[in-house]
Amino acid sequence: MSQVWVLGQRALREALRTPDALLPTLFIPLFFLVVNVGQAAKIFPSGSTPFLEGQNYAAFQLPSSLLLAASFGTAALYLVEEIEGGYFDKLRAAPVSRTAIVLGRLFAEAAKSVTITTVMVLLALPFGISIASGPLGFLLLIVLTAAWAVVFAGFMQLIALKTRSAAATNSGGLVFFPLLFLTPSFVPRDLLTRPMEIAASFNPVTYIMEALRSLILEDFAWAPLGRGFAVVAVLGTVMVALNIRMIRSYD
Amino acid sequence: MTLAVEAERLVKRYGGRGGVVEAVRGVDLHVDAGEVFGFLGPNGAGKSTTVKMLTTLMSITSGSARVAGVDVAADPDAARRRIGVALQEAGLDPRQTGRELLVLQARLFGSSRAQAVERAQELLELVDLVEAADRRIKGYSGGMMRRLDLASALVHEPEVLFLDEPTTGLDPASRLTVWDELRRINGRGTTIFLTTQYLEEADQLCDRLAIIDGGRIVREGTPGELKSQLQERRGLTAEPTLDEVFLDATGRTRERLAGEVQEVQA
Repeated sequence: MSQVWVLGQRALREALRTPDALLPTLFIPLFFLVVNVGQAAKIFPSGSTPFLEGQNYAAFQLPSSLLLAASFGTAALYLVEEIEGGYFDKLRAAPVSRTAIVLGRLFAEAAKSVTITTVMVLLALPFGISIASGPLGFLLLIVLTAAWAVVFAGFMQLIALKTRSAAATNSGGLVFFPLLFLTPSFVPRDLLTRPMEIAASFNPVTYIMEALRSLILEDFAWAPLGRGFAVVAVLGTVMVALNIRMIRSYD
Repeated sequence: MTLAVEAERLVKRYGGRGGVVEAVRGVDLHVDAGEVFGFLGPNGAGKSTTVKMLTTLMSITSGSARVAGVDVAADPDAARRRIGVALQEAGLDPRQTGRELLVLQARLFGSSRAQAVERAQELLELVDLVEAADRRIKGYSGGMMRRLDLASALVHEPEVLFLDEPTTGLDPASRLTVWDELRRINGRGTTIFLTTQYLEEADQLCDRLAIIDGGRIVREGTPGELKSQLQERRGLTAEPTLDEVFLDATGRTRERLAGEVQEVQA
């Protein structure tokens, strides 16, 4: 555990010392939030749109932006730099648990996500968004978003370890965009067209988005929350296991 | 004499798009404890692959390797505790400071925070980087990076130090500084396994050396023995240089080696 801690601290220092890479993870999702709300808010007025539960459309859109912010996966790009620069081999030549090498970076990714999610929600509060589930719901919102950040960073790290290429890893990260658009990001799932609803139902991001949305718009709704946490738990376990397997067989 | 490195019929095969490539084809190596052992060969001869297998960074296709008495395939973590590694690319994290990198490295080898801080300071003094210790590594010169890389390979006082082309790309003054440090480290009892393309470096530093070509060891002995063997075999009046031994061993000519092997006079 101490190895995860020291490697995680190093990864956090790395992120803090590269603000050029960190700041877009905050501003690009906020930009999308403003643009999406600007385009669709008039269609869904707060008073006559039941699915907004009395809040404005920005509250409905916020989970999409939180998930986007958690899906940059910059940890994987640092990993590729480390592989290319030789530091990764330096770590592998030390008696460090391979699990710690994987978990150190993922721990840092979770910590970054906690900070960015908190800042985004705090920035959203003055614009009429509130967290209907209260402080505990806010905490769960942060935990769930950070857990998704770990899942997605794990996915990108897999590409990094397999390809050892910054270009391939970067391209792999773009897979999030189709995943984000195949969700009920603009309206609830039951208002989607049938083909879109089926596609969204097969998309794991849908369940995380619905869980986050339930925390913002409603008091605790255990069914969507349970599904959201179950999805990140399963995907997180799979990603960590695949990362460890990949790093152990890395030649 | 205890063996610091012992490899028997070491083989590495890669499967690639163009078929199977045999990078190392049955290498036997025996390095005594306390030696500076030079491992020479042209580009692509199998030097780095052999070092990576000996340092647990690459799997062994067949054969066996023991470093500091430990089977590297059977117990890689035990081997890692006994070896220090500085590879071709100075393996450093450019966003950390020199001190942070050494503290982290020491902690990964099991030191407490206080021990790691103390060890980092000792090493910074050893490689003369105290003044630059709290600057980010990305601002270091090539020579400073090499010295820091060397220091990071020494945090746990390894029994065997593997150095893969530690002076490549350095100016002559930095190269001489690294040589002095290697002599000092070896003087403290650390075995050094050094790969280099600089024959002058091998001649200056190594007690014994092996030349690998096409994945096979083609010569092995002290620099003096290898030169004498060639002198006798060719009936030369003057003692040949290590360059000539290398060219003879690898079946290359100076023309063919142009651009492949760099030779320097320090």
